[in-house]
Amino acid sequence: MPAALLIAGKDLRQRLRDRSAIVLGLIAPLLIAALMSFAFKGTETFHYSLGVVNDDHGVVATQLVKSLDSKASRTVLTLVPLSSESVARTSVHDGHVAAALVIPVGFSASLSAVHPESLAIVTSVNHQIEGNVTRSIVGSFTAQINADRLSVETALASGVPLSSLNALTAKAATLRIPLQSVERPIGADQLSAISYYSPAMAIFFLLFTISFASRSFFVDRAEGMIERMRAAPLRPAEILVGKALSVFVYGTLSLATVGVITSVAFGANWGSPLSACLLGLALVISVVCLTALVIGVARTQRQAEGLASLLVFGLALLGGNFIMISSSPPLMRTLALFTPNGEAMRGFTDLATIGGGLAAVVRPIEAILLISVVTGGAAIALARRAVT
Amino acid sequence: MRALAIARASTRRIIRDRTSLFFLLVLPIIVIIIVGATVRGFSTFRVGVESSNSGPAGQQIVSALDHARGIDVITYTNKKSLTTALARGEISAGVLLPLNLGTSESSSRPITVTIYAEQVNSTQQAAATAVTSVILRQGALVQSANFAAAHSSSPYAQTLAKATSLQHSVPQVGLKTVRADSSASTLPQGYSYIAPTELVLFVFLSALAGGATIIETRRLGMYERMLAGPVHARTIIAGEALTYFLLALVQSVLIVTVGSVVFAVSWGNPLAAALLVITWALVGAGAGLLSGTFFRTPEQASAIGPTAGIALAMLGGCMWPLSIVSATMREIGHITPQAWAVDAWTSLLSRHGSLVTILPQLGVLAAFAAVLLSVSSLRLYRRLS
Amino acid sequence: MVDRPLLRCENLRRSFGDRPAVEGISFSIEPGEIYGLLGPNGAGKTTTIKMVCGLLEPDAGEVTIEGRHVNTDLSVKSLLGYVPQDIALYPDLTASENLRFIARLYKLPSDVVRQRVAEVLELCELSDRANDRVDSFSGGMKRRLNIGAGLLHHPRLLVLDEPTVGVDPQSRHSILERVQEFGRSGMAVLYTTHYMEEAEHICSRVGIIDHGRLIAEGTRRELVEQLGERDRIEMSATGDLEAFAAACRSISGVDSVATTSDAVQVVAREGRRMLPLLLEASEQIDVTVNAIDVTEPDLEAVFLHLTGTALRD
Repeated sequence: MPAALLIAGKDLRQRLRDRSAIVLGLIAPLLIAALMSFAFKGTETFHYSLGVVNDDHGVVATQLVKSLDSKASRTVLTLVPLSSESVARTSVHDGHVAAALVIPVGFSASLSAVHPESLAIVTSVNHQIEGNVTRSIVGSFTAQINADRLSVETALASGVPLSSLNALTAKAATLRIPLQSVERPIGADQLSAISYYSPAMAIFFLLFTISFASRSFFVDRAEGMIERMRAAPLRPAEILVGKALSVFVYGTLSLATVGVITSVAFGANWGSPLSACLLGLALVISVVCLTALVIGVARTQRQAEGLASLLVFGLALLGGNFIMISSSPPLMRTLALFTPNGEAMRGFTDLATIGGGLAAVVRPIEAILLISVVTGGAAIALARRAVT
Repeated sequence: MRALAIARASTRRIIRDRTSLFFLLVLPIIVIIIVGATVRGFSTFRVGVESSNSGPAGQQIVSALDHARGIDVITYTNKKSLTTALARGEISAGVLLPLNLGTSESSSRPITVTIYAEQVNSTQQAAATAVTSVILRQGALVQSANFAAAHSSSPYAQTLAKATSLQHSVPQVGLKTVRADSSASTLPQGYSYIAPTELVLFVFLSALAGGATIIETRRLGMYERMLAGPVHARTIIAGEALTYFLLALVQSVLIVTVGSVVFAVSWGNPLAAALLVITWALVGAGAGLLSGTFFRTPEQASAIGPTAGIALAMLGGCMWPLSIVSATMREIGHITPQAWAVDAWTSLLSRHGSLVTILPQLGVLAAFAAVLLSVSSLRLYRRLS
Repeated sequence: MVDRPLLRCENLRRSFGDRPAVEGISFSIEPGEIYGLLGPNGAGKTTTIKMVCGLLEPDAGEVTIEGRHVNTDLSVKSLLGYVPQDIALYPDLTASENLRFIARLYKLPSDVVRQRVAEVLELCELSDRANDRVDSFSGGMKRRLNIGAGLLHHPRLLVLDEPTVGVDPQSRHSILERVQEFGRSGMAVLYTTHYMEEAEHICSRVGIIDHGRLIAEGTRRELVEQLGERDRIEMSATGDLEAFAAACRSISGVDSVATTSDAVQVVAREGRRMLPLLLEASEQIDVTVNAIDVTEPDLEAVFLHLTGTALRD
């Protein structure tokens, strides 16, 4: 059996016997992904209860309430009729409804007067989005009314005589705002929390391999086993290749297992299997190179542990393994792309939303392999020094 | 006192280990910086706009969107990057303005602005609604300008300017906001959210990982050496507990100081905050001691400890507010001491709580500390004798 | 008998930075010979060993085993078995797992591996602990296994670096016996030590090494004969030992004097006749001699005579 395979096999046997390796490589990512999946179940859809107080019952008021109860509106909110403004305040305060609309007495009638009545929106500081959405929805309704009023006023201000007011008002009432919006889907799938955090956690714990593997190299050296291997008829390169191989196999196993389990058990979407595999393999290669770099730079086990920790947490923080990188400022998003895990996360996110199979992962894989070549090259030069 | 001597030796060993120091002091600050920059709160929509070649009228629309409450505008140069950003979740809605709006506006043909949003994604729906309302408001200007130009002798440009200035002064059907409450149930946004939650997370996490030192000490045979001298087992336990307590305290003070000095976090009522910090440090001490007696090798402590710490932090609301998860998860979360600590901090930071307000949480935390410390002390005692 | 030696070291030199560790050492070992490299700590024994095993590259000189260079020909390493001074085994693997791994490193065919591992375990008297993790072994058991690991592939040359340091007398005795057996079976053995008794007991030839140089070489008899009729006198004493040593040196007939932490060693002709003179010297400078030991010439005396320092600290 080639020496490299032998050494890799021995390393793997030791790794699999180590309970902490199993925990970090397998149990931890699954546990945390499961936690996140349960926690975020039901928070992905935005829907709220809107209280409505209709003290007016006039024509426009009724139209307004009807538009809030339309098919389109029902995707976002559910109407809850309330009896008075004070009831509305209490309901919002107590959290029974996220916001409330109050249509005052005489609203419909006031629309033809100079000073129309205002509508009131009762909000809670804990439901600011719902408050804003309510403003927008009601605002779209009142927009036409306001537009018509503004049109009349503008005409008057531009020199049309006041005597034409009624005629103007009647004409304005037939107008439609010439700027409308239309919604279109983009044909991408939605990114659920579990589909983001499954790869995120799997990759985070994959990064820990750097700690394990570099530590074990120094332990081996301290125990005289590297020397023993060098006294045997092996080339130093075979030792390095063997060690690299064991990291590669362990990393791939860990990533693959977590990927399969989260897909099957938690419904995480890792994208098309072939593309996901290629992306994962590229990432594992980069982990091997990073491990080699740590081994090459560090002189003692302690140094290796410190450097590895720095690297693992630094990369994870930058690459968006802890937070949805899409909600970060643009600078952070750019920085993330300098890390192999950040590139991989983008790849997995694109696979899960835009789709696109291999085309979606070509760029991330290229970037990851480039990073690997750079770190690996530096590592080879330094790692030889560590073994000889 | 011998317990102090033991504490001093243990502390010195931990401080000399640069890796421990990194996890203890440096990492929390880095996390606060990075995550704090990201958590911008849960009240604005990010809207992407592609408006190149849309003319001056288009720019007006963009500017109106930018000024609108609850909308953050991000510009893109082409449709592909806009839709990709939407797919990635970097924006909640995408707006595509038609070409050369300036020229076609003066005619009354209706102009359609495309808003990209998924039917099934309600957040995107809500964002789209916000955008629509702004667009309609802009459209009102166009309608008024056209109307006035048609019925008077003024040209369109003039009537548009008139309409724009009148929009602010003409009495509109207003929407007034009525606040039903003033006390938030979540921590304030940005750094004031991150700093207290990271404090809770890291003190506990570092303590769990720090249990490795106790295991190492035992392995080295140092406890045996101590017990061979005139030292009781309970002195050793007191010394180690003191070590973890002191380290947790130092870590807490660092985070509080950096938080208030660098990030302008206000930690609320000083007395209450101080007691909360001390109580949580006690919980940390218990966790550290338990970790030292529970795991068998230092590697286990440094691997499983942080994992458990992160899981508990998630359950307890350190990574996202428990108010956004289901009621069941909230209840489960309160099995963890973390949830109670976050509750106490929320009360202090978002609701001007005082010592009296957080007494219940402090009581629960003290109970956690007591249980952790006694269970672990017992275990350590049995191991030593 | 082969006309060329199994191991030949020619003019080996090695420095670490500007500190010279080995300065021009040459020796050779025949099959069946147990060659001892005897010298105090820091003399350069381990550095020499590492160059022999191809673990360190010499700054100058060459090492050949059966005429082939160790540094350029990888397969030569299959001819030698290395037993390092510190235990080199995986504590979290079992005894047989460790041996199987090492056997395969030396490219033993699979059908041979199992049998050979069993044989070596028996040799180390660890057959009943084959499936126990090495970290559960006592120090002596680890040492035996450490040695056994070097034998798996039937090496032609066995290199042992101070294999009895920190070992109890019983285990030491059995290790020494085993090494003699290896020699008798035709294996060449390179054995380093700073214990004279071991070198005297088992080595067919001894090379005395000090400060990186081989200062004498030969069979025990040849080396000791250099001393002629000189005896070695060891005086355990309390007081100013350096002054005592100086006083002894001035006595005519005394060849060499060295001090250790609690004794003064003297090499002199007709040791018994020198005794009164030495004791007189001690009285004159107020040094109390507690015990006197006069021995016939031995390797320690040779060392003292050649270097002016003691073999032991």
